[in-house]
Amino acid sequence: MAPPYLDWNGSLEILRNAYESGLFVLVIGPKGTGKTSLVREFARITGERTGRENGGLESINFSLRTRESHLVGSKTLSGGDIAFEEGILVRSMRNGGMLYLDEINAAEADVLLRLDEALDDRRQLVLKESSAMEIVRADASWFVVATINPLTHSGTKELPPQLLSRFPVRIKLEYPPEDVEIEIVRAHLGDGPGGAGRGEDIVQAVKLANTLRQAAAVEELFYSPSIRETIAYAKLLGRGVPARKAADWVFGNVYAQWGQIEHQKVSDVITSMFGEREQA
Amino acid sequence: MIAVDAHAAATPGVARGARRQIKISAESLMEIATFLARRWSENDSMTVQIPERMSETKTRLSDNLIVIAPPGRRTGDGFQRYRQFRTALWYESTRALHCTKILSNDHAFGFILNAMETCRIEHMGRKVWRGMDDEIVMYHAHMLVERPQLHEVYGRARIVEAFYQQLLFGAVKGELQASHAERVARAAEFARGVISEAVSGGRGTDWVEGHTSRIIKMLDIDSLMTIPVSLPFMRAGMALDEKEMLKVLKVVLQHDKRSGLAENARDASSILRGSEDIHGEYTMLLEENQRAENKGLASEPIGIQTPAGAEGADESAIYDAALINGLKAKFKEWKSGWSETHVASAGEEFDGESYIEGHDPFVTDVKKSIKTRITILLDHSSSIASDAREYKKATLALCEVLSFLRVSFSVYAFSTQERSVVCWSIKPEAAKWNTSAAKRLARIVANGSTPLAEVYDKMYPILQARRPDIFLTLTDGEPSDPDAVREMITGLKGLGTGMVALGLGPNITRATAIASNLRRLGYERTVAVSRLADIPNKVMGILEA
Repeated sequence: MAPPYLDWNGSLEILRNAYESGLFVLVIGPKGTGKTSLVREFARITGERTGRENGGLESINFSLRTRESHLVGSKTLSGGDIAFEEGILVRSMRNGGMLYLDEINAAEADVLLRLDEALDDRRQLVLKESSAMEIVRADASWFVVATINPLTHSGTKELPPQLLSRFPVRIKLEYPPEDVEIEIVRAHLGDGPGGAGRGEDIVQAVKLANTLRQAAAVEELFYSPSIRETIAYAKLLGRGVPARKAADWVFGNVYAQWGQIEHQKVSDVITSMFGEREQA
Repeated sequence: MIAVDAHAAATPGVARGARRQIKISAESLMEIATFLARRWSENDSMTVQIPERMSETKTRLSDNLIVIAPPGRRTGDGFQRYRQFRTALWYESTRALHCTKILSNDHAFGFILNAMETCRIEHMGRKVWRGMDDEIVMYHAHMLVERPQLHEVYGRARIVEAFYQQLLFGAVKGELQASHAERVARAAEFARGVISEAVSGGRGTDWVEGHTSRIIKMLDIDSLMTIPVSLPFMRAGMALDEKEMLKVLKVVLQHDKRSGLAENARDASSILRGSEDIHGEYTMLLEENQRAENKGLASEPIGIQTPAGAEGADESAIYDAALINGLKAKFKEWKSGWSETHVASAGEEFDGESYIEGHDPFVTDVKKSIKTRITILLDHSSSIASDAREYKKATLALCEVLSFLRVSFSVYAFSTQERSVVCWSIKPEAAKWNTSAAKRLARIVANGSTPLAEVYDKMYPILQARRPDIFLTLTDGEPSDPDAVREMITGLKGLGTGMVALGLGPNITRATAIASNLRRLGYERTVAVSRLADIPNKVMGILEA
């Protein structure tokens, strides 16, 4: 079972208010700050309240390769007949429930324009693709949440202002304070062979991650670890991997791609935190 | 270069195989030391200076500065010296984090307070840096070896020295009068109590300072009594042999275990041998040095100098993270090598195959512009002095972006020093752009006129050897020797180098005037800039063209 979600900055409250007011939400935050976990948790809670499995959550992850047809749908040939297979956007509008648009600012402009039409106050889409030129109207319970990474992340583009205005409620997610992150990560330690008594190692790992984030923020390092990494570390500890080894695997080795000095810098920080690597 | 001679004959831990004559390049040592000091002290503006002739370590809290003796001034073989250097750096960084004041060691009060603070920061520091235990024990052993025998210290300073040794190592070297020994033991016990309360109660320097007078009273000394020698003694090369060192180490280890400093420490011989990881770091520094040797930093042709004392310069003052990030975000497409063009009209499904017919390729490869090799010459004449910081911020941002885009570039600057023009090497083409290069840029003081032809003449051998595709001169004034410049430009063009000038002016009119005057000197292209922050954009524009 997945560990419980820790709502440390009251984001669920914002989502609940937006949902009940029929306003769409944009979640902004760097990678690995728990954007997807937040949306999934909200879907679960909504599902419990409405009796609909997982709040009717449909999700799509955007990239340069995402095409309009993935959203709206395309014509297909089945049994000699041309049929229109609806895309995720149309399906979600009809069925109501939640639509989760992940990393929306990684998509191409033309894809986003089509999305803009559906998110408009009229909440409708003219289905030019189907031969009937049908107008799809969204169900009253339709709720959209999108996430974006800050512009400094590679592969991201600035969101057009008209689309930005379709999401009037915005949640800014940051890395949580150290004690909160420790609590989040500790929950992932699990009941494995190495889980017991590793609390101190978790505290160290979160401190290490914060030290590296700080260095990356002032451009002294090329990469900043996310919560995803501290969670991965906890999972490895739970499997009985020694703390130092797990720190090397998760936090240290990634810097080797930027040369020996970069790797050694981080390796030294790890050594001064976790001590000597165990020899084989 | 910071020399670390191998004294293999009288060295503990020789099994590490560091018998070779080795030199650590000041550059890589500085880079790694600055990085570690900033992480350990949790202060991103901390700078480290490693003056070669210094054997004392000083930390100036108000200046965010750690001045530390180089490895060469320590005892043992190369690796052991590096270990001591690294641990000393850890102590000073931790001191900078946890202490609010550092008094002079020249009088008894300051000396005792500093000793107590050293104990306190060891405990505070290893709460986070638990892997330092081995190194702390080893460092204590070296410190104990370096302390004088009590009979070598005269007068009441002997009591203070005995207190220091008793507090830090739980032992004293030599003999002490019985009544004094009792006093020292009592005072050290009291001091330990103060430190332990300070650590558990999260109390700071001021609180510890409040208890120092009590210790002075217990020792029955005058608080302003002069501590005659600046301690500790550094006697490079005078190391004990492995057996003797092990003996000292065992004494220290026992004491450290009792005082809770060595919970994670290994046994004495493993500590003496040292950590594989730190040895790896040491080896890497040696290798890096060999690599750097041929990269032009050490042996520039005559006429071009590397700014001296740059190691201590604070490059964080000219580091504008917002400007750099903005530029990186702007030029990131260059990095990928592909440029996106949006061709489909709104709402239409894009059909690649039908589009290609009759159209230009819709993906443009811009890698060709990144392959351009560029040499940049920065004017640091007196006219830029008033805006020197902004100017340096902009030029540093430019270098950061060029390095981010993996453009092959070299940077030089010129200014006047002692009435003669000097051409400074900031970053040779083969060297990497790093904090050391940024420190060199930070170090240059804007001064003098614009004798461009003289500078070009000094750079000629390099330009002839490297033949960059573009040679860009950033200047804010017309050269003082225009005819000579014209001649030099003709010569440089003959090498196949594109001569480009960027004129800086306080406003558009002036900048344009400078640029058009420069054009008359024979530059192939001149660009005007009136806002310093625009420099990187303009240069990137030149590269793109």
